[in-house]
Amino acid sequence: MANLKIGKMIMRSLFKKPATLMYPVIPREYKERTRGHIEVDMNACILCGICMKKCPTDAITVNREERTWSIQRMRCIQCSCCEEVCPKKCLVNESSYTTPDIIKIADTYEKPDEPNAAAGETGLKCADTCVFCGICVKKCPSDALTVDRAAKKWEVDNDKCTKCGFCVESCPKKSLSIE
Amino acid sequence: MGKRTIIPFGPQHPVLPEPIHLDLVIEDESVLEAIPSIGFIHRGLEKLVEKNEWPEMVYVIERVCGICSFGHGWGYCKSVEGNLGAEIPPRAEYLRTVWHELSRIHSHLLWLGLLADGFGFESLFMHSWRIRETILNIFEETAGGRVIFSVCKVGGVRKDISDEKLKDIVKTLDGIRKETAELTNVFLEDVSVRSRLSGVGALTKQDAEDLCAVGPVARASGILQDVRLDGHGAYPYLDFSPCIETEGDCYARCKVRIRELFQSMDLIEEAVSKIPAGDIEIKLKGNPSGEFVARMEQPRGEAYYYSKGNGSKYLERMRVRTPTNANIPALVKTLQGCDLADVPMLVLTIDPCISCTER
Repeated sequence: MANLKIGKMIMRSLFKKPATLMYPVIPREYKERTRGHIEVDMNACILCGICMKKCPTDAITVNREERTWSIQRMRCIQCSCCEEVCPKKCLVNESSYTTPDIIKIADTYEKPDEPNAAAGETGLKCADTCVFCGICVKKCPSDALTVDRAAKKWEVDNDKCTKCGFCVESCPKKSLSIE
Repeated sequence: MGKRTIIPFGPQHPVLPEPIHLDLVIEDESVLEAIPSIGFIHRGLEKLVEKNEWPEMVYVIERVCGICSFGHGWGYCKSVEGNLGAEIPPRAEYLRTVWHELSRIHSHLLWLGLLADGFGFESLFMHSWRIRETILNIFEETAGGRVIFSVCKVGGVRKDISDEKLKDIVKTLDGIRKETAELTNVFLEDVSVRSRLSGVGALTKQDAEDLCAVGPVARASGILQDVRLDGHGAYPYLDFSPCIETEGDCYARCKVRIRELFQSMDLIEEAVSKIPAGDIEIKLKGNPSGEFVARMEQPRGEAYYYSKGNGSKYLERMRVRTPTNANIPALVKTLQGCDLADVPMLVLTIDPCISCTER
């Protein structure tokens, strides 16, 4: 029966339950690693904006003045790039997908006010052990630092500094600290 | 002598979803000449290197193709790693190989389904894709995405697969091996399938060589050509020899892909048994500042990745040459003199991916 090579397979599938799911009546099971959608923990977020700069599709917008973090769900490609670059690890790729919609929505999250923000004197500090090597300047994603080796001067622009901590990590003399 | 007519084929055609357009010059029922044209799906992905920094660009390059996405990501990484002179940890190379071979299984099963659909064997098409679903589940469990992996990064891989999970993958592949053998037996032995594919669109070895055919198309014409022989990834440590057929017709191209399916399963099994422990990525220093060409054996054939850096965070130029681009001249050659009814089979058996080709 050369023409019925597939016969066995077809007979078997006749009596087996369907290989497909009756979605959405039967919900889909997500795997542990499924990249579904990005969730943000606004309490931990410092609004540094590195996720916005690194996002390949410009899906994320960080507004430091309005203290908001927003994501355009239709633009996001779930690459988890933001999750990887986030200095505070406040972004997580959750395994479930967002519900479908007929319009392109942007989810906006507001950062709660910090009670100690007005106290002042918080920010990046440099100790006397600084050798003015300039590595922190290269590492700063917001161009907030300036180092003048000749004049032995280290300066931080507090308006630009997001306190992401990249400079603290990179400092070879461990002179930098965020207070 | 009959009257010559030009029949447009594509870019939208029931047989294939790929937007390729062919102007077929026909006389009676046979094709005298085929003039291909593409350009319906250009997305300008290469230009995006100017906007995305090189570590993030891999997520864009992966989206060049939805079927061999991992291979594209790996090719790009290989090219930038070559530019930076980076040595990749062996475990990362093994993991990349496992993912890449899984992609090949998924791609070939998808193609077998499309071929069955092309010659009107609907149930064969459905069964091919049912088996393919198992592979997609493995992708989702290990990488997080069913189609786009996003696990390859410049300097290694982003996610590890535990040894238990790797053994599970081998067990799953063993589970589908019998079913796949049953399925592929239909392609190779069924009388109606054989009569549809045998002797159709033969490409001689000389023509394949002259027209620089790549991948399964070249291998089906008897050319020993496979980039995996060049020793990248974990292939030098695996027992690998390319699958070669000599007939050069649609049946031979189908047979090469079927043999590669089982070969990929064997390669994964071997890679899992030999995978070393250790790091999965290295920290890279500096920015790419030279030129580098990397080659990859994608499921469809050889692909080139060229990158040129200028010492900044952005690459100056990125170029991808995909296998379909190389196989179009061979397709045009086989179309000359074929029957009009055979055109869809010939187009399908080069496994065209036009969105890859145009990027």
